[in-house]
Amino acid sequence: MLEISHIDVFYGDLQALWDISMTIDEGKIVTLVGSNGAGKSTLMHSVSGLIKHKTGSICFGGIRLDGMSAHQRVEQGVSTVPEGRRLFPQMTVLENLEVGASIRAARKVRFDTLNWIYELFPILRERKKQRAGTLSGGEQQMLAIGRVLMSQPRLLLIDEMSLGLSPLLVQEISRVLKDINKLRKLTILLVEQDVQLALSLADRGYIIENGRIVGEGDAKDLLCSEQVKDAYLGMGLAGKVDELE
Amino acid sequence: MATHWKKLSVLGMILILIVVLPMVTDLGSNIMNVMVTLFMYIILSQSWNLIGGYTGQINLGIVAFFGVSTMVTHFLWKAGVSIYLAITAGSLSAVILAAVIGLPTLRLRGMYFAVGTLALAQAAQTIVGNIFTRTISMPGSFSTNYSLTPRYYLGLTLVVIAMLVVYAVTRSKIGLAMVAIRDDEQAAQVTGVKVFKYKVIALLISAVLSGLAGGLYAYVRLSFYQVFALFSPSWTFDALLAVVIGGGGTLFGPVIGSIFLVVLSEIFVNTLGQAHLIVFGFIFILVVLLLPEGLMGGVDVVRPWVYRTRRSSQ
Amino acid sequence: MNAVIQTVLIGIAIGALYALVALGFGLIMGVMKFVNIAHGSFIIIGGYVAYWLFTLLGIDPYLSIPAVMLVMFAMGLILYRLLFSPLLKYPRAEMRLDKSLLITFGVMWILDNTVTLLWTPDTRSIVTSYTGSTIDILGAKLGFTGLAGLILAFLVAVILHILITRTYFGKHVRAATQDSGAASLSGVNVQRTYLISCGIAAAVAGVAGVVIVSSYSITPSGGLNWLLTAMVVIVLAGEGNITYILPAGLILGLVQSISTLFVSSAYQEPIALIIFILVLMFKPKGLFASRG
Repeated sequence: MLEISHIDVFYGDLQALWDISMTIDEGKIVTLVGSNGAGKSTLMHSVSGLIKHKTGSICFGGIRLDGMSAHQRVEQGVSTVPEGRRLFPQMTVLENLEVGASIRAARKVRFDTLNWIYELFPILRERKKQRAGTLSGGEQQMLAIGRVLMSQPRLLLIDEMSLGLSPLLVQEISRVLKDINKLRKLTILLVEQDVQLALSLADRGYIIENGRIVGEGDAKDLLCSEQVKDAYLGMGLAGKVDELE
Repeated sequence: MATHWKKLSVLGMILILIVVLPMVTDLGSNIMNVMVTLFMYIILSQSWNLIGGYTGQINLGIVAFFGVSTMVTHFLWKAGVSIYLAITAGSLSAVILAAVIGLPTLRLRGMYFAVGTLALAQAAQTIVGNIFTRTISMPGSFSTNYSLTPRYYLGLTLVVIAMLVVYAVTRSKIGLAMVAIRDDEQAAQVTGVKVFKYKVIALLISAVLSGLAGGLYAYVRLSFYQVFALFSPSWTFDALLAVVIGGGGTLFGPVIGSIFLVVLSEIFVNTLGQAHLIVFGFIFILVVLLLPEGLMGGVDVVRPWVYRTRRSSQ
Repeated sequence: MNAVIQTVLIGIAIGALYALVALGFGLIMGVMKFVNIAHGSFIIIGGYVAYWLFTLLGIDPYLSIPAVMLVMFAMGLILYRLLFSPLLKYPRAEMRLDKSLLITFGVMWILDNTVTLLWTPDTRSIVTSYTGSTIDILGAKLGFTGLAGLILAFLVAVILHILITRTYFGKHVRAATQDSGAASLSGVNVQRTYLISCGIAAAVAGVAGVVIVSSYSITPSGGLNWLLTAMVVIVLAGEGNITYILPAGLILGLVQSISTLFVSSAYQEPIALIIFILVLMFKPKGLFASRG
């Protein structure tokens, strides 16, 4: 469904991503994991349209997204929950959700969509008149996801969902995501620092390091692989200590 | 290093030419007038270059410094003070005005500083225009022996002084602070640069130069039929135009820009009359949009392009 | 007692006009973080359009408002499309602001000189059959034109408020103001939102121009004074707060008007300037800041 082909991304003269290629099949949950600064967010920005990539192409459902601005991609069905949520702090929960339904197609059905969001995240209905800036971290994350869902996306991009959230909330939101993916066939691309979480949730995974893809495969396989265990799951340190002895 | 000497020698030759020519031939009052005007614009635009080009503070009211200095110089000179002292006093008064205006306004954020200086210059124009409603002129004794030559050489000397001042300041610790403030004021603050102090210093030195230009103007013009016009925003605009076209934050940008400005003025005033102001406005906007580094930066844009085409043709 | 009511009425009338003048400027500044130094010129041009419609076609200035708004709206669109949108490529807000300062300074230069060239520096004003007449309110007299200006200012402020708070376009504007990147990601066409906002701002400036040319007078270079007035109101209201512009304008108008009871009216401008600098120094977020 989403086809990223050999893209390079630069910040000015500085190259951040080298020859990135990824395939996300419809209805699947795919995750991109890597440590801080590996290039995960850069890739997200490229797919969502905030940054332009230099070479290569990004195709969604056969349509090239390359020239499109961010809001045009939303119209195509690609919506992003940005890193740090980026809610509209002075607007209420309800207003944030309404802005999420800005594209024409979503605006028409927004009342139904709104009810669905309230079912998924009942707390949002309670707080609907509250200013978004005054919500707790978990509520903000729920609102951010809700806002994006208002645009009736076909592909949902989530950038660093777990940041600043308690494990309980992360579980809760993961469950919701899994449900939406199953019930609504919503394709999800998840970018995450918490490798354990990401690979448990996803069907397929990619590993990025220093701006390059260094691994890909079935999520469960990756979770058990030496590569992932060494680098990301903290077992690497134990292994290194063994080597020293 | 070789190019450095080459540039210096070219500069030196031009300078010698400018100094020597009027001594050996009679250039005619037209050309002399244009040269003196050019000198004035170079000094005035260097003034804006310091505060706007190097420090990044957009001062839209430098005409206030210019006008005040012109007035002070005029009256002191009329009262019998030597012209050199009068111009010095004029510059000093510009600095005092800068201190009075600068201390409150430089604490404000960029936009408020810009509009604040614009407002104060307007206020100055209104106040002065109301006080001096009639022409201010020199007694006949000053105009009988009027010769452009001393004005030419004084202007040239002041230009050299202005260039030296800009050179010295921008290569000093002050200059470093100025550029740091322009590039990222917050970062500068955080790394310990005393932002406010250096903004004030930049403004004061800038005022000195505006004052020199104003004093020169008093020396050249003698009488002023409309004192109101001395504080007209067109002086500020011309300085901005020269800096933007030539390239702000460079030593020679304002020089190039002033030459451009004066030459274009000469061409347009005869053909377009008042409309030439409008044309300048368009040029200004185009340069800000398309050539943000001005002509000096344009060189950096053109050079690699020329290099590339030359290589491909080999 | 009559004198006090008179003073208050005058203060409210002129304060409303100040608010009207500031609304257009504040819209651009709050939404796009650009400064439009040519705002005053836009106001004056709006006044000239009304003037010529009246002088050549005999159309009453208040009836010509829709036409003026249309012309000015178009000018606002052009301003954005040609001069502001190229600035969006600069990621840093200060750079955008500085460039907008320079560019609009140039625009002001062009507009003011073009107007002077086309229509001479002469002062213009519209004098109709009702220009001099007054209305009695609570024993004091309020000029008819003053009242009209007051009503218009309130109307525009209310309409804008409704637009911003209750329409989808208004939500787009607020979203783009608070986080333009997130707005784009939510499907808001931020560029088009900016474009239309610029048009609206110019149209509002046009209305202000109509009021000014009917109640007072206009000259080609008079725009600068109105720009400065707008700035003072914006500072009082708190940057980016369009809602507080009307009350801020009224306060400024009242303070100025009441001060005439104590000092000569020649000090009006210096007083406004002093208020400007005092508020900037002590209450930089505006008079209403504590209400958040």
